[in-house]
Amino acid sequence: MSNAQRQRAHDKAEQRRARAAAVLAEQRAVERRRRARTVTLAAALGVALLVVVGVAVQASRTGSSTTGATPPSATEAGAFVVGDAAAPVTLSVYSDFLCPACKAFEEASGATVDELVEAGAVRLEYHPISILDRASSDRYSTRSASAAACAAEAGALRPFSEALFAAQPAEGGTGLSDGRMVELGRSAGIDDDGFAQCVEDRRYAGWVARSTDAASRAGVTGTPTVLVDGQQLQSWDPASLRAAVEAAAG
Amino acid sequence: VSWQSTRALPALAVVARLALAALWLAAGLLKVVDPAANVRAVRAYEVLPEAVVPLVGYGLPFLEIGLGLLLLAGLAVRWAALASAALLVLFVAGVSSAWARGLTIDCGCFGGGGQVAPEDTRYLQELLRDGVALAAAALLAWRPSTPWSLDRLLHAPSPPSAVQPEPDEVTT
Repeated sequence: MSNAQRQRAHDKAEQRRARAAAVLAEQRAVERRRRARTVTLAAALGVALLVVVGVAVQASRTGSSTTGATPPSATEAGAFVVGDAAAPVTLSVYSDFLCPACKAFEEASGATVDELVEAGAVRLEYHPISILDRASSDRYSTRSASAAACAAEAGALRPFSEALFAAQPAEGGTGLSDGRMVELGRSAGIDDDGFAQCVEDRRYAGWVARSTDAASRAGVTGTPTVLVDGQQLQSWDPASLRAAVEAAAG
Repeated sequence: VSWQSTRALPALAVVARLALAALWLAAGLLKVVDPAANVRAVRAYEVLPEAVVPLVGYGLPFLEIGLGLLLLAGLAVRWAALASAALLVLFVAGVSSAWARGLTIDCGCFGGGGQVAPEDTRYLQELLRDGVALAAAALLAWRPSTPWSLDRLLHAPSPPSAVQPEPDEVTT
């Protein structure tokens, strides 16, 4: 074979190899893209399935946590009414017993609220809600609000809530035990035998979850929320509170 | 591939992938424990119609967990990064709009949420965090292939076959 012949044969072989390599590369690229598409599709479907199942699970969990008795004296909207139902002005207070600002409100203006109620100037609609369950290790917000409902049934909502605020535990730890709340109830003047059982059963926890949800739907995004005839107060020191009530009474 | 010739970028991409995965998993898992609180947090933005608020409140943590798992495993990383970026853009829009409207809420990004005292809002920090996460997502969308990923494992080149041309040696 001459050098030229050898060179031609070599070139042809080279071309064949190059074509084969190109075809192979193309096949591999197609295969890779197909596999990538399959993986992406499977991943997207997996995430979608997770979300759908998750929504269903959470809906059912929420549904079961909101079942339970409504305290006989509570309103549909989740409030206990204190004072003269025919009073000219409605004062609505949304509180969480773990919320430091709610404690501050009660300490600063609780006495004023009670005076306004006793004078017949306002009817107090008191909403114990639980928005801070994650801030205690034992769902203190829900337990204490349920206990407050038990106290309301025993006719001692205001003194009991005052006692709860006075003994308010810090956020981030454990709340008051059920037993401690029963003791506070006793010292707030509750001698009803059913009270302890009611607190320990967390009888109104489902109602608290419902009324917390109702409060959220009504636009309550934090605590304390204080409204005079539906108008939210930005400052609720005693003077502002009285002024707002007088303005609302006309 | 040229970017792999620099050593820093793959390392950065792995860090971006794992950090974004950790962010999603933390955000999702912390929220998933209290669905009712999460629904309230979504509602507090006052953006979505009430009909979809519970769906978002229930579903969003699972979407975050799903994206976190994909990024952690390194599976469908480009898709997960693009979805992450889209979600982060929505979060940035939501937080910015809450800030602009003068709401004083916690973003509820890691649970909680709802109203806080005006001096306790953290809008700037929340937006900066989202911005960093968005940069990580963009990097991964651009260069999704990172070491220690299922994508690499699945798309590893097959062993050289017989058809593959050998280096030509002209012998005479």
